[in-house]
Amino acid sequence: MKNAFSILKKMLPKKGASKEEAKPKPKQKQGNTASLSARIDYVKRQLGSETKDVIIRQFSSSNNKVKFGLIFIDGMVDKEIIHDNIIRPAQSDIISNFAPKLTPDNALQLLQEHITSGGELSVVPGIDQAILMVLSGDTALLIDGEQKILIYGTRSFDRRGVEEPLTEAAVRGPREGFTETIRTNTSLLRRRIRHPDLRFESMKAGRLTGTEIILAYIHGIANERLLEEVRLRIAAIDTDSILDSGYIEEFIEDSPFSIFPQIEHTERSDKAAAAILEGRVVIIVNNSPFVLIVPTTFFQFIAASEDYYERPYIGIFLRLLRLVVLNIALMLPAIYVAVTTFHKEMLPTALLLSIAAAREGIPLPAVGEAIIMEATFEVLREAGTRLPKPVGQAVSIVGGLVIGDAAIRAGLVSPAMVIIVATTAISTFAIPAFNASIALRLLRFPLIILGAVMGLYGVIFGLLLILIHLAGLQSFGVPYLAPLVHGTARDIIGALARPPWWMALKRPRLLAVGDRTRQAKNMRPHFTPPDERELFHEDTGEK
Amino acid sequence: MLEKGKISPRQAGELMFITLLATVILLVPEITADLAGHDAWLATFVGSLFGLLTVGIIAWLGLKHPGKTIYQYAESVLGKYPGKLVGLAYVWIFLHLAAMVVRQFGDFLTTSFMVLTPLSVFNISLTALAALAVIMGLEVITRMSEFIILLVVSFLLLVITLSIGNWELNQLLPFMKDGIMPVLRGAIVPAAFHGEIVVLAVLIPFLTRPKAAFLSGTAAVTASALLLTMAVVGTLAVFGPELTTSFRFPIHLFVRSINIGKVLTRFEVVVMVTWVAGVFIKISVLYYCAALGTAQVFGLSEYRSTVLPLGVLITALSVLLFEDIAELVSFLAQAWPRFSISVYFFGLPFLLLLVTVIREKIFGHSFGGQQDE
Repeated sequence: MKNAFSILKKMLPKKGASKEEAKPKPKQKQGNTASLSARIDYVKRQLGSETKDVIIRQFSSSNNKVKFGLIFIDGMVDKEIIHDNIIRPAQSDIISNFAPKLTPDNALQLLQEHITSGGELSVVPGIDQAILMVLSGDTALLIDGEQKILIYGTRSFDRRGVEEPLTEAAVRGPREGFTETIRTNTSLLRRRIRHPDLRFESMKAGRLTGTEIILAYIHGIANERLLEEVRLRIAAIDTDSILDSGYIEEFIEDSPFSIFPQIEHTERSDKAAAAILEGRVVIIVNNSPFVLIVPTTFFQFIAASEDYYERPYIGIFLRLLRLVVLNIALMLPAIYVAVTTFHKEMLPTALLLSIAAAREGIPLPAVGEAIIMEATFEVLREAGTRLPKPVGQAVSIVGGLVIGDAAIRAGLVSPAMVIIVATTAISTFAIPAFNASIALRLLRFPLIILGAVMGLYGVIFGLLLILIHLAGLQSFGVPYLAPLVHGTARDIIGALARPPWWMALKRPRLLAVGDRTRQAKNMRPHFTPPDERELFHEDTGEK
Repeated sequence: MLEKGKISPRQAGELMFITLLATVILLVPEITADLAGHDAWLATFVGSLFGLLTVGIIAWLGLKHPGKTIYQYAESVLGKYPGKLVGLAYVWIFLHLAAMVVRQFGDFLTTSFMVLTPLSVFNISLTALAALAVIMGLEVITRMSEFIILLVVSFLLLVITLSIGNWELNQLLPFMKDGIMPVLRGAIVPAAFHGEIVVLAVLIPFLTRPKAAFLSGTAAVTASALLLTMAVVGTLAVFGPELTTSFRFPIHLFVRSINIGKVLTRFEVVVMVTWVAGVFIKISVLYYCAALGTAQVFGLSEYRSTVLPLGVLITALSVLLFEDIAELVSFLAQAWPRFSISVYFFGLPFLLLLVTVIREKIFGHSFGGQQDE
């Protein structure tokens, strides 16, 4: 909370500064008097009197000695709580014996300790802080003659329920996805990691949006230096608005011009929890169901969380499959163009003949064909994404089947090219991370051109260029290609395959600090067969 | 320090391993088969192990002068100007090596794969790529080598394994028909290639544990020697020494000879892929050593400013040094081994070692090494 306040203070540079520097200024001082009416005027001025969702309710205590002002925002609070727990107890004698004793001097203490109820209650020193809290859905209780302000946690607004994430569907595993509400998201994590060392550190960014950002990590597992770096980078953000975690991602990533995503995002709560348990830091941004995971390495993008829930063989197979698919998505059209243009001798004769026969009468060179088909596919895909589902299907049928078929029949493209493009397209969909697959899709085009200009040497040239870039990338101090570089054999196996849980003894070396032990040793199941333990009795018919 | 990156001994070993193996495998089979006949494989192995001597001297020097590259300790050992001269000599050898490697590779591509493309296309593009890697720094080159080593080793092992069906091991006989002399004569070329391990003298100060330098250098030399010997054995067993000598790039044809069930065939492109990657790492390392050396000899604060001029030099040299590939091969077989070993891979390091010892033992000068052990 301390941190939150320090950032709150930072959020108000002008007011804070003027308060300290120019104390005698009467206009600024109005906000920080003990007078109720002056402060209510100040609030009205600050929030604008034409703003109708700001509700200011004034009332008095039953003995008429103390005047109260209640400020909250309609639609963001639970009105029942306000009525039952704040207004009624303060206004009447029936609920609390202390109500008659209220005076301006003891009001703060009595209200806090005896009269009003409500789980979340805090005291702020000045009206400006109170306004910020009110804007988040809390309720401020102003007491005439008392400068400190009581803040009741009354946040309640319409929110989307916890649903299965649409972008990361899984066959097996938890189906709870993050929502737009930050508290729901923290609770999803807290429910998975019930340990006192799980920390949620709150920060704020966005001058106008005042967006809450939470760093979730496990104290003692997450590297303190990494945390410090994340805090620094987020605290340095000076922008007017944060509407999605994507904004944060772009403000804190290491190489802003890189085509590769250096920060992973996920909607799955179990994936985020797994990342936290590995020693990563999860950045939750209010109003965004996508949380960010730092640091991120390239091989995270070929991992899906269900790899870890299904049997290891399936996990290993799928990982390796994705690795192959990744290469296909990146290189296949380029290699096809290079081989058919420059290295025809590479192909077995039968295959070469059938390709040559299919290309008979095609007006374009292979590279033209490839680029046109790839571009067409990208258009189809984009058209299908934004349309409502039924229409999207129609588009893909018309686009994929009708146009593809017609193009072949008309002799505009060769069937081989259609196969190549379709394989590539399907391969891109098989990469779990959308942002990573987009990077590969974009890189495909320069590779095709290099392949057409310099053959396979050109393709390798392009790949080496990409490799130089990847080798130079870092995500929060961790090499992007880790654990393939800088990794131990165990780390490499852990990233490329997926060992059974009882074999995954350690957390990744590059991330976690301290004790990296995950499992006790000798956890391999070797239970005595049930019949020896006499769990099953042969049915002899006696009993 | 001009370079802030640090690499682990294992990474350094992998880097040097690729540096050694990348080109040696292209030309050595032909040259050693020419000189040593049936015993070329033995010559290759024996010659390769010469690298260990260089590693020993270099590692000792590196420990004696902690935190310094060969350019720096040459000055503190021999005095300012003689030391700078030695440093410049090493800059030159790295440049020369890089240019030769670029040339070999360009020639390989133009003769074997893309006959119509001019040599300079490959030379310029490969040097530009290496320049980019050098600008990115030692750590980036190292990380790439960690990635590429997987490709190089697995492809090479795959190719050798697949070729076993074509082997006729009696082509390796008779064993040492003419005594040991042809073996030793044949050994000199692989020895010169493995002398390139001298890059360790530049890398040592960037190791996280400089004491492991000897170990990583030894591992690199031994691994490279073993793989190379395997490749030579394979080439000889498939073609026999006479045929091997008649090919320009025997390994290329060796790979081409693989034909399993008419499906697993035409692997030479795989070879090319691997070689571009390996050669690229090799050029980057040599280029880096030259760039860092230039900066250190001339006392620059940044080595990156030297990258562009050196790149131009490498490209120009790679085209101008040799008339054609025959000249390159004869240079590599005749002049190069004697020249490079006597001066760069053994002579100068040994001189530095000698002077260090003499100054320490006789004149009581302290170079600051070893005490902090």
